[in-house]
Amino acid sequence: MASSETFHCSVVTPERAVLECESTFVVLPAWDGEIGILRGRAPLLCKLGIGRLRIETADEEHILFLDGGFAEMLDNRLTILTEDARRPDELDRQAAASDLEEARALTVTDDASLEARQKALQRARTQLRLAD
Amino acid sequence: MANRRVLIKRRDAVRNIHKITRTMQMIANVRFQAAFKRAVASKPYTEKLAKLVDDLARAAKGIDHPLMRQPEEGGVSVLMVITSTRGLCGGYNHNVLRTAGEHLKSLEAGGERVELQMVGKKGVAYLKFAGWPMDREITDIGETPRFDEIEPLANEMMERFTRGEIRSVDVVYMKFVSTGKQIPVVERLLPLTGLESENAEVAPAVAEVQYEFSPDPHELLNELLPATVRIALFQAFSDAVVSEQVSRMVAMTAATEAAEDIIKRLTQQYNRARQTAITMELLDIVGGANALS
Repeated sequence: MASSETFHCSVVTPERAVLECESTFVVLPAWDGEIGILRGRAPLLCKLGIGRLRIETADEEHILFLDGGFAEMLDNRLTILTEDARRPDELDRQAAASDLEEARALTVTDDASLEARQKALQRARTQLRLAD
Repeated sequence: MANRRVLIKRRDAVRNIHKITRTMQMIANVRFQAAFKRAVASKPYTEKLAKLVDDLARAAKGIDHPLMRQPEEGGVSVLMVITSTRGLCGGYNHNVLRTAGEHLKSLEAGGERVELQMVGKKGVAYLKFAGWPMDREITDIGETPRFDEIEPLANEMMERFTRGEIRSVDVVYMKFVSTGKQIPVVERLLPLTGLESENAEVAPAVAEVQYEFSPDPHELLNELLPATVRIALFQAFSDAVVSEQVSRMVAMTAATEAAEDIIKRLTQQYNRARQTAITMELLDIVGGANALS
């Protein structure tokens, strides 16, 4: 049901195709902030960060947790490649909470470990926020 | 007669085996379908990723990445061999191990130090029996390899590769071509090769798309290449599982058919023995009656 308002959106991981739909509006968690996408957007290739993906279709809204990956928008087809995509009800609140504790306990000695800690913190926090 | 009882016993034994192999064949069939579905499910990701690398390589005007450089000196060559956790799958493990052995010899003949990483209980058991030392045994990856199980392995290899500890990574596994064909292959995981040669051929045919890149193409590539390595390793594991189930299906079908043949032959032998016994008895009776008259 492709109308003049919608564009195709698919989310794939190495293990499965998570979502395949005609959407009206998508918000991507890009590496440097959120990007909103509507039909007719210019070709885009961007790196994704850890965060929330929101996909609006004509009659519903999908929310997914993304852990990095890439997004490509081309000819009104948005493809999101990610190594981990989960719906909020698939998230494990307790595991995320303990991950957050672990991430807090990480010691920072150099730039690499700082980045690792920030990533772990963000991953855990985003999961916690979405699990609620 | 004793002979007949023995035949019946043997036939019952074969019938039991027949039941077991038939069940295993059916289980392997179901598992194959599940594994095949999973392997197919990862196709869109792999294909899209390859296309992105292609587009980016063109936009970035050539690629130069630590993962693609062949280290000059030093370092070990990692050989990862993927075998199964369970047996009764025909020549599956044997074929993989033979290919691995040949490759190992050719590496060592080239004067390289080889680090052998064995995946799967069967391969580990075989090498232990052969008295061959392994540098690492990985037996905790089950029949449904998940991406988050494979990812750390790939990440670890890439890290060691960039540090210069290892000079190459080869994976030996059974590639799934079709249900009728699986071939043991040696695949080079690191350093990455064959990216540039491919896109040189495709380049003129495809119209160039003016993408908006975020961040710039070089940095995107830096992120994409490790993802390609991870998915390549994941694919190897998924393929291995699919091939294993096919091999088991084929082996168990053959075993079931063989059991049916034996049951048929034993039934024939039993019937013949029974008929012989009856004839003998009749002859006895007739002989006795004749003797009386």
